[in-house]
Amino acid sequence: MNTETRVLEPGQIEAPAGQIPFLRLARPDVFKQRAERLLQLSLGDSQGGHSIGGYLALLATLAQAQQQALDHFPAAPLPTPEQQALCREHGMPVLGAQAWPRDPSWRGVLKTILQHMAAAPLTAPASAVVARLMQTGGTELESIASKLLAGDLSDVDAQDMPFVAAALQVYWVRMAAELGEHAFGKLEQGGLCPVCGSHPVAGIVRVGGMEQGLRYLCCSLCATEWHMVRIKCSNCESTHKINYYTLENSNGAVKAESCNDCNTYLKLLYLEKDSQMEAVADDLATLALDVLMGETGKVRGGLNLFFHPGSAQV
Amino acid sequence: MQVTRRQFFKICASGLGSSSLAMLGFAPGEALAETRNFKLARTTETRNTCPYCSVGCGILIYGLGDKAKNVHTKVIHIEGDPDHPVNRGTLCPKGVGLLDFVQSPNRLKHPEYRAPGSKEWKRISWDEAFTRISKLMKEDRDKNFIDKNKDGVTVNRWVSTGFLAASASSNESGYITHKVVRSLGMLSFDNQARV
Repeated sequence: MNTETRVLEPGQIEAPAGQIPFLRLARPDVFKQRAERLLQLSLGDSQGGHSIGGYLALLATLAQAQQQALDHFPAAPLPTPEQQALCREHGMPVLGAQAWPRDPSWRGVLKTILQHMAAAPLTAPASAVVARLMQTGGTELESIASKLLAGDLSDVDAQDMPFVAAALQVYWVRMAAELGEHAFGKLEQGGLCPVCGSHPVAGIVRVGGMEQGLRYLCCSLCATEWHMVRIKCSNCESTHKINYYTLENSNGAVKAESCNDCNTYLKLLYLEKDSQMEAVADDLATLALDVLMGETGKVRGGLNLFFHPGSAQV
Repeated sequence: MQVTRRQFFKICASGLGSSSLAMLGFAPGEALAETRNFKLARTTETRNTCPYCSVGCGILIYGLGDKAKNVHTKVIHIEGDPDHPVNRGTLCPKGVGLLDFVQSPNRLKHPEYRAPGSKEWKRISWDEAFTRISKLMKEDRDKNFIDKNKDGVTVNRWVSTGFLAASASSNESGYITHKVVRSLGMLSFDNQARV
């Protein structure tokens, strides 16, 4: 393709009223919102404390550190307009999680985050991990990051994962924000993030106005939200044999959308039932639903980078 | 694009002991105990088309119940399909009332017949209904079929009977309706059930 030619890019034409907005990049305060929600969930509800409240509180601190790092992140190299055009032409993510050559500045982000964490009250194992990661060399950090971004969790330490992932999330959110929404087009695979090609952490069924009832998938890495039609498997895009599972006697705000064709599920958060919900936080806070879905033999169709599920992987 | 299956994993109770949760100093015991107190409830969401009029609005039907366990699935909610290009999640007052329509005790569930002059509806079998309809159609067609007009041109018309099909029909059932009705020579048919 001749990149000199001025072709109108997605987003340059104003969407007519009634057209479904396809993409929404993470807001500048995405990690602040996440931290607040994690903290709120960690306190539990009127029935008592949350069963993993301590862990959610730790992650709330981590998300606060992410916000701080994002606010002070220096500019990092971005794909050239030619690279961007090439990616769009071939339906590839412009900032592919595995393909994009990471700038070392993400390790600076990690350092900022670890410093923030070191100053916070932590459990002994968490303190030890923070101290260890502070001393870990660049080559090893890059190796952890590569395995993590490849989704190769068997080789990723469950302790390291949330911290390293936190830094990578900040780095990707920043790059996506620098490029802006118009830089990204649709991918061939509707279930992968149009920005970085990652799997979603969860889906969000929106509420209010133009967006009422629309489902957006939320990227596990860069927190981008992209539209996907309801009642469709976010993994294999099948539209039949889709079932929804919820915890009995719950208000139905979180449902696992499962597909019998590819045997996966992904949680959907119905904002109509609870408008405070946030993808990463509420996904973790409903771990019981994952365990029960696991017992039915279903496999999760997306990662939560704040949670390594342990050694019993499929 | 390559999608690796490695991204997919099961979250198992047995794995939680080596998960990030446990490895960062939080005992998973309470979370596991809690899990045993919960059960899964199966619900369904089904895409369909409003049966009322020819606008053909998309709807989502929410159901409750586990088909596998031989429990009757109950429709609990119906709303406009937000992704549907025609109505984008909206519904007219009749569409909004669809749940009552589905659950109405007066809903027609089998063929009924009211004889001319009678006030009584009588339940009949599908076989009786089909036989009666086809018999009357044939009778009327034999009597009123026009094969040639006054100039002697072949027209093969049957104008004394009309046909009303369903507004929520798909393209395919529209095609079949057309084939059946037109091949009998019938000219009047419509898919407008609103009026």
